[in-house]
Amino acid sequence: MFIRSLKKLIRNPILLFFSLFQPILFLALFTQLLSRLGSFPGILPDHVAYLEFAAAGILLQNAFGSALQSGNSIVADIDSGFLSKMLVTPMSRSAILLGRLSSDAFRVVIQTAIILGLAYALGAAENTPFYVTTGVVGILGIFFTLAFFGLAWSGISLALGMKTRSAETVFAIGGVITFPLLFLSPSLLPINFLPSWVQTVSMFNPVSYAVNASRAFMITGYDWGTILPAWGVIALVAVITLSATLYQFRKVVS
Amino acid sequence: MADIITVKDLVLVYSDGTKAVDNISFNVQEGEFFGFLGPNGAGKSTTIKILTTLLRKTSGKATVAGFDLDNDASSIRKIMGVQSQETTVDGDLTGRENLELQGHFYQMPTNEIKKRVNELLKLVGLESAAERRARNYSGGMKKRLDLATAIIHKPKLLFLDEPTTGLDPQSRAAIWAYLEQLNKMEGITIFLTTQYLEEANKLCKRLAIIDSGKIAVSGSPDELKKQVGADSIRIGLENCERDRSKAKEIIKSMTGVTDIKDAEECILVYAQNAASLIADIVRALDSTDIRLTSVTFSQPSLDDVFIKYTGKRIRVEESVKAPSGMFGGRR
Repeated sequence: MFIRSLKKLIRNPILLFFSLFQPILFLALFTQLLSRLGSFPGILPDHVAYLEFAAAGILLQNAFGSALQSGNSIVADIDSGFLSKMLVTPMSRSAILLGRLSSDAFRVVIQTAIILGLAYALGAAENTPFYVTTGVVGILGIFFTLAFFGLAWSGISLALGMKTRSAETVFAIGGVITFPLLFLSPSLLPINFLPSWVQTVSMFNPVSYAVNASRAFMITGYDWGTILPAWGVIALVAVITLSATLYQFRKVVS
Repeated sequence: MADIITVKDLVLVYSDGTKAVDNISFNVQEGEFFGFLGPNGAGKSTTIKILTTLLRKTSGKATVAGFDLDNDASSIRKIMGVQSQETTVDGDLTGRENLELQGHFYQMPTNEIKKRVNELLKLVGLESAAERRARNYSGGMKKRLDLATAIIHKPKLLFLDEPTTGLDPQSRAAIWAYLEQLNKMEGITIFLTTQYLEEANKLCKRLAIIDSGKIAVSGSPDELKKQVGADSIRIGLENCERDRSKAKEIIKSMTGVTDIKDAEECILVYAQNAASLIADIVRALDSTDIRLTSVTFSQPSLDDVFIKYTGKRIRVEESVKAPSGMFGGRR
């Protein structure tokens, strides 16, 4: 199942391209828009270019995007009858779901690597060096955080997909959820730069935690005080969304 | 022969209250080619979904290969193959990859999968297209690939839900040939649903006509046709007025004749085996100087069976011509 999803992804590079398109656009253009931010003292942490600051937010945005496609693919499998085709075989029910989720996570990791690589290249070109403070282990930490985050949100889109059986609905609801969560968090701008009500909201926004953790790996280093709570929050979200997925999956399966 | 499927008082009510399957009972023997014939929405697919463990029945009892549907679903899944109504091949994968994937679903060892895949590609004539993506296959090729995936693990029992719906006549004939081969050569029991009378007539050794969730009648195609009535022979005479009563007298005494009526041509004879009776009739009348102008005979078709038991035609454009006798013609 995992292999099938990966093969499908490789066969449809256009899909990978489109889901990467938005994050790359943000990475290349949005960061340009706000690149002067770094020249005002006190907004960004010292010696940090906006590109480097925003990279974490863009990674999150990317994870959102691919998580939403997970719901689409299960809708496609239900519609085409492929899910039924799997269900009449003795393969274990959990393998169907786990294969899907693990390929989702893998995909987020690949895309994250591409974006990080691109950010590095852009940083070099702009003479605003981009690098991950914590090195290779830190990059693994970023992969883990985002894959974990992606899983948690795949849960939402999978549950929605199985409940509504409509790819359009998944996208519509997904879009409605994604952007407010991104904007009401320190994803693209520093927390102290945001209006105070947004600061308040962002404290209850799981995205804030995930973005801070990724940023810690990139900029501040092993700030476990930020990273561990973030993992805790993601785990909480994952438990909720994946339970919903499991519940819907049981309904679809029986 | 043992029963491979037993169904007793099966009922399925959907959550919206629709009674899709209404108290049906039937058995399928091992090695049999059994068919469910019925129009759209008759409950054919629903029955298949129940028997293939996709839908939970509301009440009744059903076993497949001796395993209980409720308690032993996983044992059933191991020994059955299923081809659903929708063609479900993964267009992003090649024909070969589709088959290999299916082999993994059944947890077959990799080298066995390789061997079996080559065998199946040959069987369904997709060897030359094996490395192409299934997306680019024609409808018939996809169906053949789908059929191959359903038998990757050499199932004892194969469920086919309208395997030829939407196919052109050549592709349909090809699928029929594979199915007959599977049933005869490999001894696979086949349970098939169809809305094509021709298909049921050609393939099924036994069939049940299902309508509005109920089994209207079941038996072999020939039995069913016999129940509808006897064969009929229409006889035209040169001088009908003069010879009719004499001719009727002669024919009535022949064995196998069940009824004689006046008809437009002159005489209408109902008989058990018209084909063999025709020669006798011609010879007898000829020897008495009664001149014949025409003789036509026809057998009842499954279409007649269907009309008798459900009160409607199955699908007019698909209705099948009765096999015509040596003098041709049709009622």
